[in-house]
Amino acid sequence: MLYKILDKKDFKDFVNNLISAYEVTAPKKISQALHDFFPIKSYEEMDLSYKRTTLPPAKKMLFPSNEALASYTVGNNIEVKSLNESKEQLLFGVGAWDINGMNFLDRIFSTDFIDENYMEKRKKLKVIGIDAEPSDANFASSVGSEFAKEGFDLFLSDIGDKYFVRIGTAAGAEIASKFGDFLDASDVDYSAYDRQMDLYKNKFNVNVNLDNFFENFEIVYGKKDLWEKLAKSCFSCGSCNLVCPTCFCFNVRDDIKIDLAGGIKSRQWDSCMISNYGLVAGGHNFRPDEANRLKQRYRCKLKTFVEKFGQYSCVGCGRCVEACLAKINIYEDINAVKEEVSI
Amino acid sequence: MSKPKVGVFGLAGCGGCQLEILNLEDELIDFICAVDIVHFTEAITEHSDTYDIALIEGSVSTKHDLERLEHIASVAKIIIAIGACSSTGGLNCLKNLYGTEKAKELVYGDKKDWIDAIDTKPIDAYVKVDYHARGCPPTRAEIVDIVKSLIMGKVPEIPDYPVCIECKRLGNICVYETGGTCMGPVARAGCNARCPSANSGCEACRGPVDDPNINAQKDLLDRYGLTVEDIMEGFNLYNACKKIEQKNK
Ligand code: SF4
Ligand code: SF4
Repeated sequence: MLYKILDKKDFKDFVNNLISAYEVTAPKKISQALHDFFPIKSYEEMDLSYKRTTLPPAKKMLFPSNEALASYTVGNNIEVKSLNESKEQLLFGVGAWDINGMNFLDRIFSTDFIDENYMEKRKKLKVIGIDAEPSDANFASSVGSEFAKEGFDLFLSDIGDKYFVRIGTAAGAEIASKFGDFLDASDVDYSAYDRQMDLYKNKFNVNVNLDNFFENFEIVYGKKDLWEKLAKSCFSCGSCNLVCPTCFCFNVRDDIKIDLAGGIKSRQWDSCMISNYGLVAGGHNFRPDEANRLKQRYRCKLKTFVEKFGQYSCVGCGRCVEACLAKINIYEDINAVKEEVSI
Repeated sequence: MSKPKVGVFGLAGCGGCQLEILNLEDELIDFICAVDIVHFTEAITEHSDTYDIALIEGSVSTKHDLERLEHIASVAKIIIAIGACSSTGGLNCLKNLYGTEKAKELVYGDKKDWIDAIDTKPIDAYVKVDYHARGCPPTRAEIVDIVKSLIMGKVPEIPDYPVCIECKRLGNICVYETGGTCMGPVARAGCNARCPSANSGCEACRGPVDDPNINAQKDLLDRYGLTVEDIMEGFNLYNACKKIEQKNK
C-alpha cells in the first residue's frame, strides 16, 4: 500500500477532474435525514456529510434491483443471448463498511460460480472510499468492518486541512497521478493519521459483543418462544434484506412476449423474510412463519459465512435497523440471545 | 391452451379496468391476436356466449349483477377477477358501512325501491375465482401476464409480499420518514409502489397480503400518533368488505 497526501484546497479540483473523466456516483442529500448515492455532474451536487443512506451504493451499482440477464427466441430457431450491461464507473465517498460489504458480494459472485453480470460491472468500477460518519445505528466497529483493508483504489481519511490517502491498487495510483496534486506523506502526517484512526473508532455509538455468539446461537436456536417474541411485530416486508449491503438473494423471472415468440429473463432482489421465499413445489413452506425466517436471517448474517468464508456477512451498517418499521433490531437481538443463554 | 376464447365483462365498477386492457398500446395488437375476444362490454358490439376465460371487472352490488355473474361462471372454465372492486369489493363496499337500505334512501329517496341493490361483495363471495389481477386500476402487465401464463400452461406469478419490497427496490424514501402514513407493510405489492413513489401513502388497493401482521400495523400507526379511526380509514377505502366480514366473525 502506498500513502499520499491531498491538500483540502486541491480537493474540489480533484473531484471535478474525476467527474470529467468518469461517470461519478457520489452521496447526495435527498431529505432532511437521508442521503443516497447517485451519478453527479458537478462537485456541488455532492454532500459528504452524510450519515444515513437509503441503499448501499456498491450493491445498487453492481447488482441492480432489477436486471435483464438474457433474451431468447423460441420456435424453430432457438436463440439465447446473454444481456450484460456494464460501463466504466467511479464510486466516490463510500464508507469502509460499505466497501467491506462490496468485498463480500465480490466473493459471493465469484465463488463456486462466476456471475458475469456482477463481475463485469465490478471490473469496470473504481472505488474511492472515505472515513464516513457512522449513523446512529451503525455498529461496524463491533463486527470489524469500520476499516477497509482492500476493495478500494483510493481511501481518504480527513486529518485536518488535508486528506491522508491510502492507495490500494495500481489503478488508484494512476488516478492519483493523473487527476490530483498528491504529495508524499511526512512523519507528521503519519502520526496525524494514527490519531485520526483512534478517534474514528470512537465515533461508533453502538457496541455489541459477539463473543460466543456462534455457540450461543445454537443453544437458543430451538427456543420457539424467544424467536416468536423477537419476530412478533415483523411484517415479513423484506426491507431489512433489500437495504442490506451483503444480501445477495435474487429471484429470476421470465417475461415471455405475448406472441410467445421469445422473451427476457431478468432478476430482482429477493428476500428471505417474505412468506413465499421458502415455498416449494407442492405447496410446502419450509419457513412458514416470521420467527423461523428471522432466525434464519440472523444465522445467515452471523454464522453461515463464518463457517464458509471466515467472516460475518453483516458489516454493521445499521440500515436494516433504520429501515424496519417494526423496530426489529439486529444488535438488540444479538444481546437477547446472550441474555437467553445466561438465564 | 391454444387461442382461448375470452370474454371481458363489467359488473358494478367504473369501467376503468376494461379500459386498462384497451390501453395496452404496444401490446394490444399482440394481445388480441393471442386470444379470441368474443365479448368485451366496453369495446365491441358483437357478443358470443361461448368463452373459456372470463375477465370480470366490478363487484356484485345488485341482484342483476349476481345473475350475470352466475351465468358467466356457468359458461367460463376460468375466471379472472380484474381490479379492486372485483377482487375485494373495492370502493363500492363503503355503501355497506352505511347499511344498504340507508344508502339507497340517501341516493334515491322515495324511488329507492326501483333499485335492486344488495350488500356489495367481491365476486369470489359467490363464484370460484381462479386468479386475481388486483389494484385500482390493475396493472396492464399483470392482466396480460395472467392470460399469457394460462396460454402457456404456467401458474401466473402474483406477488404475495408487501409493497415495501417494491419501495426498497426503487430506493424510495419511506413515506413514514416524510411524516406520512402508509399501508405498504401489510398491502399486497404488484403495482411497483405506485403511490409511495409519488410520496403518497399506499391505500392497499390490491388488498392485504395473505397473512398481514395487522397488530404490528396498528402499533406502527399508533407510534405515528394516529387514532383507531385513522387506522380504520386506511383499510376502508378498498377493503371495507373484508373488515365487515371480520367484525361479524
Ligand atoms: S424484520 Fe423488519 S424490515 Fe425485516 S421483514 Fe420484518 S418488519 Fe420487515
Ligand atoms: S413508503 Fe410505504 S410501502 Fe414504501 S417502504 Fe415505507 S411503508 Fe413500505
